[in-house]
Amino acid sequence: MDDLNSTNRKLPFGIKLPAKVVWTKRTKSDLRTGLLFLSPWLIGFFAFTLYPMVVCFFFSFNNYKTKRAPARIGLQNYRDLLVDEKFWIALNNTMYMVIIAVPLGLFASFLCAILLNLKVRGQAFYRVVYFLPSIVPTVAGTILFLWLLNPQVGLVNTLLDRIGIDGPNWMADPNWSKPALILLGMWGMGGTIIIYLSGLQDVPQSLLEAAELDGANWFQRLWHITIPMVSPITLFNLITGMIGMFQYFAQAYVVGGGDNLGRPLDSTLFYSVYLYQNAFLFLKMGYASAMAWILFIIILIFTLLLLKVSDRFTYYAG
Amino acid sequence: MNKKLFRILSIVLLASMLLSACGNAGGGSVSDEQKVLRVWIQWGDNPQQIQTLFDKYTAETGIKVEVTAPIEQDKILPALTGSTPPDVLILSGGDLAKSFYKEGLVDELSGAIKTGNIDMADMFEAPLSQCRQGDLILCLPWGTDAYALFWNKDLFEAAGLDPEKPPSTMEELVEYADKLTVIAADGTIEQIGFIPNHSWSHTDLYVRNFGGFWYSDDGSALTVNSQPMIDAMTWQQQFFTKYGVDNIQSFSSGFGEYGSPDAPFYAGKVAMMVEGEWQVGPNFIPALKPELNYGVAAFPPPADHPERAGTIVNQGTAVVIPSGAKDKDASAKLLAWMMSPAIVAEEFCFNANLPTSRKAAEDPCFKELGPKFQVFVDLMSSPNAYAVLTTPISLELNDAMGTAEERILLTGTDPKTELDAIQAEFEPKFKEAMK
Repeated sequence: MDDLNSTNRKLPFGIKLPAKVVWTKRTKSDLRTGLLFLSPWLIGFFAFTLYPMVVCFFFSFNNYKTKRAPARIGLQNYRDLLVDEKFWIALNNTMYMVIIAVPLGLFASFLCAILLNLKVRGQAFYRVVYFLPSIVPTVAGTILFLWLLNPQVGLVNTLLDRIGIDGPNWMADPNWSKPALILLGMWGMGGTIIIYLSGLQDVPQSLLEAAELDGANWFQRLWHITIPMVSPITLFNLITGMIGMFQYFAQAYVVGGGDNLGRPLDSTLFYSVYLYQNAFLFLKMGYASAMAWILFIIILIFTLLLLKVSDRFTYYAG
Repeated sequence: MNKKLFRILSIVLLASMLLSACGNAGGGSVSDEQKVLRVWIQWGDNPQQIQTLFDKYTAETGIKVEVTAPIEQDKILPALTGSTPPDVLILSGGDLAKSFYKEGLVDELSGAIKTGNIDMADMFEAPLSQCRQGDLILCLPWGTDAYALFWNKDLFEAAGLDPEKPPSTMEELVEYADKLTVIAADGTIEQIGFIPNHSWSHTDLYVRNFGGFWYSDDGSALTVNSQPMIDAMTWQQQFFTKYGVDNIQSFSSGFGEYGSPDAPFYAGKVAMMVEGEWQVGPNFIPALKPELNYGVAAFPPPADHPERAGTIVNQGTAVVIPSGAKDKDASAKLLAWMMSPAIVAEEFCFNANLPTSRKAAEDPCFKELGPKFQVFVDLMSSPNAYAVLTTPISLELNDAMGTAEERILLTGTDPKTELDAIQAEFEPKFKEAMK
């Protein structure tokens, strides 16, 4: 794309657009070829993402169930959601996971990555061990965890009992069901650890050595060099983790066993679970569509907010 | 690459993709060469056995039947709204049939019953009632379940109770449960007499024994906060109040898995339970704990209503014909074949479930399942046999009632307050749905 003018206009978040495009025959031909190569993704995007999103937006203003024609009801679905107690419970549960599980997961992943970055004997073995849980299928991992957290015969409570702690009822107790799911999530954080690990290996040794020569101790090197240098990775993990957590579904579905979604006492009724219930069990597609759009807007706001705030704590070398 | 050739290839590729996408993805329900009917079953532990059963239809008629089982609910919905729904759909219960009919996804079955010449008088009224909506019949019950009281005779004997005499009233059941509950010195439960929501909720059975349900008998009114509902919840709540919620939950959490030899009733941790007929069939107690010394009887009525003895509540598979099925006559004939007493007997003897056909119930194969199974078969003819009534809002209402039941039992909230709130929330939804 030589013909594209190299003078760039600045857009937010570092996106650059060419100031002026000169439409020569070559440019047009390149564009056609480019679009053709992109077409598998473009077709997929338009047919399976954009079109459903637009239709979903339309349905959110309709009383639409499944087959019968949608009936226009304006903002009624949104108004009903505002007074729907379960909607707020689901949103509250989801926010709990986003606010607690995501930062906790990031912190634990970073800590593990630092440990796995240490040049010790058996380093490769430890890396494999920490990564393995993340390739266990979600359903199998969740069922395994349900057994580990079984209050009577589970390993966790047995170990707690050995040190004199009376373990909680975990998934049967509404106060402990979400912490139990957070533990389950942290068990499978191998993917995040790998990303952090690659980031840690990109931290220039020269900086660390210079700091060491200047008398900086381990913590000072970590705080002033390593953490700022991996901050773009932290931002990436934070945003993807947050988006994933807003859409938290599979583990809660397995724990609920299909018929008992949200149990005990709606403590595992997450946003996507309630959305699924409305769409596929209660056949309230219009209502579920409104929920989907609210979730989209919430995620969008949080992502933009994080990107905006990230300027203050993210350091892009070079 | 030659530009023209590149363009032509691209167009051909796109066209072929479009054509394949618009084509009959299901392979067609009916072809001129050989008819193929597709049967989807939401429930289905043993798909191969069900396919073998339907192969008999192929042998009789030459029409091939493809069975898919089990099938998830979120796959059923797109199929029913799409262009190639199954020809016959077997749902786990009547509740979805009502929702689907309301949306025009399944047919009312009077026409199919006539076409298939189905003998409706042969059908037990209780399971059929879960398919009725006024004068309409929206599904046909194929097999059904019923619940009764199971008691461990050895534990009865150890507690000084007559092992051959189960409680005869709900009040007596509470007394027996106390005698059968063993509390350790540290206050934890070692053995429990009875947990009212053991395995899952049995409010439907209790509320019938208290003389009501959460709908009026004709299904035209919502009665969630009626006195029988309040009584049923209060009766269950007493067990949790007495033994302690944390105590029961901690004790229950160590139970072995359902359908394993360590299941709590098999392991002698629970002395009495409400369970279904399949437990006495060859795949459960006789296979998993053959030495278990237990009895089965109808759940007892309240002391002041002995006329309610023999109360059961049926709930089971419901067969529907999708409105988009290609050949309705073929679907109707297959439905009639499925409902024939011989097929009902074969399928449900094999699975140790209850038949919905009176003639099928007389088949000797059910007697071969043993006298305990016969208790359930006999209860099918009880004057107090009911079904879980369903309406288009059943799934949403059941979910709300499930949460309310949890609150009542686990947090001790007032049953009337909880049920009043549900009645107020669902009354308008019910009226809207029944229009």
